Amino acid sequence: MVIAPDFGPPSVISFEHVWKTYPNGTDALRDVCLSVPAGDFVFLVGPSGAGKSTLVRLLIREERPTRGSLVVHGHDLGTMGRRRLPWLRRTVGLVFQDFKLLPRLTVLENVMFALRVLGRPGRAVERHAREALETVGLGGMARQYPCELSGGEQQRVAIARALVHRPRLIVADEPTGNLDPVTAWEIMQLLLAINADGATVLMATHNRDIVDLVRRRVVAIERGTVVRDDRSGTYHVDLAEPAVRAR
Amino acid sequence: MWIWRNLLFALDSAWQNFWRNAAVSMAAVLSITLILLLAGVSLLVGHALGQVLDTYQQRVSVLTISVADDTPMAAAYDFADQLRARPGVVSVRFVTKDEELSRFSADPRNQQLLEQLEGNPVPAKLEVRVAALSDIGPVDAFARQWRGVDRTDPTDYQGDFVGNMLRLRTWLTIAGLGLLAVLTVASVVIVMNTIRTAVYHRRQEIEVMKLVGATEWFVRGPFVLEGVMTGLIAAGLALGILVAAYRPFVHAFQSALFFVPLTYDPRFVPVLGSDLLTAGTLLGALGSYIGVRRFVRL
Repeated sequence: MVIAPDFGPPSVISFEHVWKTYPNGTDALRDVCLSVPAGDFVFLVGPSGAGKSTLVRLLIREERPTRGSLVVHGHDLGTMGRRRLPWLRRTVGLVFQDFKLLPRLTVLENVMFALRVLGRPGRAVERHAREALETVGLGGMARQYPCELSGGEQQRVAIARALVHRPRLIVADEPTGNLDPVTAWEIMQLLLAINADGATVLMATHNRDIVDLVRRRVVAIERGTVVRDDRSGTYHVDLAEPAVRAR
Repeated sequence: MWIWRNLLFALDSAWQNFWRNAAVSMAAVLSITLILLLAGVSLLVGHALGQVLDTYQQRVSVLTISVADDTPMAAAYDFADQLRARPGVVSVRFVTKDEELSRFSADPRNQQLLEQLEGNPVPAKLEVRVAALSDIGPVDAFARQWRGVDRTDPTDYQGDFVGNMLRLRTWLTIAGLGLLAVLTVASVVIVMNTIRTAVYHRRQEIEVMKLVGATEWFVRGPFVLEGVMTGLIAAGLALGILVAAYRPFVHAFQSALFFVPLTYDPRFVPVLGSDLLTAGTLLGALGSYIGVRRFVRL
């Protein structure tokens, strides 16, 4: 038998038989196997409590896997020491449902904050932050405070902050959860544009309309197990038009 | 360069945080000021007591050895040399029988006794001055073994007084250390809880810092600096109060208890200042370090 070499893009995220069991004995993830190649766009779907948030927390090493191997950007997160965590997190841009903006800082300062904590020089910090705000279409709102913005605008600021240090992976946990459909679609367009620029995007969502409209890779989780991994899927199993399985 | 940038960021954050939680910060500053005032007062009392003890020590650190009448002069001088060679002995002076008699006669209380005596009954003496009160005991034991000593009244020094002073100094040192330990623990707990409150107020900021890749010490640094700031401001306040009160207090004490040789010592003020500022800095740093280690983790 001839084994053909794999010339596909390298995996940015690789779960191999990952289990996460909480101290109370609950298995939040059971034997998860998942590989995300560079440049992919993945929707993570499933009902509340299925394990999506646990999977996201494992990706940013807020939790360690109980069993199995989880590798992100070549780093084994199961064995990675606390001191190396910052360097992992600098390669990942995070977007949350509740935006996590600092209310006493302006829009520009919120984005600059992400670079200031990395010790970047002052002038470069402001230039990069303004560029990131231009990218998300908020160049004119730099001096406003988060409370003066709509939900969609706040989420754009959060995306600008996630982008400003040019991460290769964007992890978005319910980024459209608090937004109306039109604004949610605008945010989705933004994430797709970021993906088109080469970043890998993993987005946990409950937004059926968006998943069904965009038709990208869909990984469905139920009770901690990956039950479906479709290359061009929908939110629910599409019986009329079976999706192409990614694995 | 990045270290400088990070330091500026930490200083800026610490300063802003100090004033943002002004009520908690000021409560901590005032508590530590009181503690440092207590520590400063005990330092001043210790120093004053040291001054008084030194004055008394100079008076009582002399041991007199009576030389037997039949001891040859050469043997007495030889023994004086042996004493000079001992550690802790500052000086040895030989007092002849005649010199001692004239000293004895100079005291009016001895006149009646002198009229009843014939010849010179007082022995020659060796006056030994020691550096520390604790040196007197060994010198006394050594002198008592010497053949030329007058067996009827071999040595004379204020043994009980010396012993009591040494015991007093030991007990005061122990009490001072005990007080210091209690004050240290109290300060550290106060700073720790201030930092805990600050961490709670800044939990959002800390969460964002962690998520964008700040290092653990980048997040912790401002809190440690805030602790140091709290300690330094408290030390400055305590020092100001003590310096302002020191001289008037000593003057008031001198007029009330004139027989106690207590004096205002301006040379001690810089020592007190450096001690209090160092203590404030260390207490602030220690309390906040323990606080951030417990409450700020990646």
